[in-house]
Amino acid sequence: MSEAVLILLLSNAVKAGTILLYPTIGEIFSERAGILNLGVEGMMLIGAFFGFMITHITHNPYLGFLAGVMAGGLASLIHAFISITLRGNQIVSGLALTIFGAGFTTFYGQQWINMNLEVSFSPIALPILSSIPFIGDILFKQDIIVYLSYITALVMWFVLYKTTIGINLRAVGENAKASNAMGVSVYKVRYFWTFFGGLMAGAGGAYLTIGYAPFWLDGITAGRGWIAIALVIFAMWDPLKAVLGAYLFGSINALQFQLQAGGTTIPSAILNMLPYLVTFIAIVISSIIVKAKHIRPPRELGIPYSREEK
Amino acid sequence: MLYFEKRKSVSKGLKISIPLVSLIIGVLFGALAIAIVGINPYDVYKSLFLSAFGSWYVFSETLVSATPLLLITAGLILVFKMGVWNIGAYGQYIMGAIFSSYFAIFLPPDTSKPLMLLLMFFGGLIGGAIWAIIPAILKVFWEVNEVITTLLLNYIALYVLKFLMYGSWRNPTSYGFPLSKPFPDSAQLPIIFSHTRITLGFVFAVIAVLLIWFLISKTKFGYEVRVIGDNPTAAKYAGINVNKNIIIAMAISGALAGLAGMVQVSGIIHFLQVKINANYGYTSIIVAWISYLNPVMCFITSVLFGGLESGGYSIQISMRVSYGIVGLIESIALFSIVGAQIFLNYKLRWRK
Repeated sequence: MSEAVLILLLSNAVKAGTILLYPTIGEIFSERAGILNLGVEGMMLIGAFFGFMITHITHNPYLGFLAGVMAGGLASLIHAFISITLRGNQIVSGLALTIFGAGFTTFYGQQWINMNLEVSFSPIALPILSSIPFIGDILFKQDIIVYLSYITALVMWFVLYKTTIGINLRAVGENAKASNAMGVSVYKVRYFWTFFGGLMAGAGGAYLTIGYAPFWLDGITAGRGWIAIALVIFAMWDPLKAVLGAYLFGSINALQFQLQAGGTTIPSAILNMLPYLVTFIAIVISSIIVKAKHIRPPRELGIPYSREEK
Repeated sequence: MLYFEKRKSVSKGLKISIPLVSLIIGVLFGALAIAIVGINPYDVYKSLFLSAFGSWYVFSETLVSATPLLLITAGLILVFKMGVWNIGAYGQYIMGAIFSSYFAIFLPPDTSKPLMLLLMFFGGLIGGAIWAIIPAILKVFWEVNEVITTLLLNYIALYVLKFLMYGSWRNPTSYGFPLSKPFPDSAQLPIIFSHTRITLGFVFAVIAVLLIWFLISKTKFGYEVRVIGDNPTAAKYAGINVNKNIIIAMAISGALAGLAGMVQVSGIIHFLQVKINANYGYTSIIVAWISYLNPVMCFITSVLFGGLESGGYSIQISMRVSYGIVGLIESIALFSIVGAQIFLNYKLRWRK
């Protein structure tokens, strides 16, 4: 493989990884606050749809991206209301959100099927950084949404481990009652981070349709939301490790695409199965590691909190 | 401010009305969604209702859709009762269809019908069971989250099916379409009501639901399942073999989903293809919840949702209303029922 081909492959891996990185970071924070949201796939679909539609109408990809982000956030509030205020079963509510996202986008997306976007994010070569050999070509000749994802991962890592916000957030996910006694509003923290999770899922979805595959199809996210949820365990609830996971899976996507474009003899069903198969193997291995190292999910993940009851 | 106050006992009246109200909320939001695109929701619902329950023939099609829902839901009720989240009925259904189709495609067409159907029947059960036992074993021995593994196995099953349909199982005379050769008559489930598509599969479905009801409420295994669902730690201390029970329940649940796949390809489609309505696997999760995980109630719910599915296909053709509306209505009904559980045990009160 020539260096140019390798650079193209890896820079596409970063792009494909960005689609997963945002939702993974979002779900990490929502889970850290104790809310399991299995609606990532649905929120991504909603983000992808609104991102596509607004970009198509306004010809402004940035406005479209913003719309997708907000739409994902709004969708997450349904889950927040049911699992926080009404203390409903988070697994079922999250699944309902995924079915909702698929139904909503199929229903309203009917008239947009097979339409294309003519505008996208333009790549910007960062001064100095982009001239680093090899790495510069892969990481620093990307578009602004990719750069924003680098910043998000770094900032969110800092927020989680080095700020009071992060301490409170982790405390709420570990022991809601005790955090309430310390004067932290469990409801507010959980609402906020579930909403954040929705914004990030929307961002991943919007980047998919605006920056990566600029057309609309039913179910265009194709299970990426579930891969993101799996990546949370793979990343062991750490935003920086999520970067690693997301790019690893991005490379599988990019490789699959490159092989198909190069006219490989491997059946396309096998190539398309690869991301799910690798995620499956990865989740088994990382679960075994998580168990052996006694790393565990936030203690009260999925358990509703009630202020009234002692 | 509003707050929740604990009730002294579970409200029975609410228990009956909540599923109904949830469905109504789903239908109302669906109406809103339809009105937004400028179509009259009343016309759509009228047409939907008539295409699901308006005549004996359309009602028989509703029962055709209810058949796989009943089979899959019966198994899901069992595992959900023990707090195990099998989200993989979609993949187990596909695997059941593949395993049973193997006999229909590769055995001589003049194989005797009872033998062929028996092989396909067990093929469906075993294919589905294998696909459910894998995540069950991973869960009990290494604590691998079954929600994620069963979901990923759905996608893997879909691509196994695509691999076969675009590869060695494709009918050479299908002009490149991803279809198998048609099943011989010996591989087709017999129809039990003439002029309909209701097959022996419907009988399997009814028996499956009754069996699951019996298993849960009348046997030691069912008792253990309920104890595990209430408190897995207590179950362990009480000497219940939790791991073994999880694997058995998952195997049963997967087997029934696999049988649903067999019933669909052998009874309805008559060949194997990529689109075999595996989405029944997801709809059944909703059916199970709207039925409160109660096997008897799942008869009513499956018929209602069967009507929604088959009516949904009809209005897509007759009124050009996207099939997405079915998912919208179903998901909002599911949100409502999950959100409404709290009112069974709590009252909403106002305090200054």
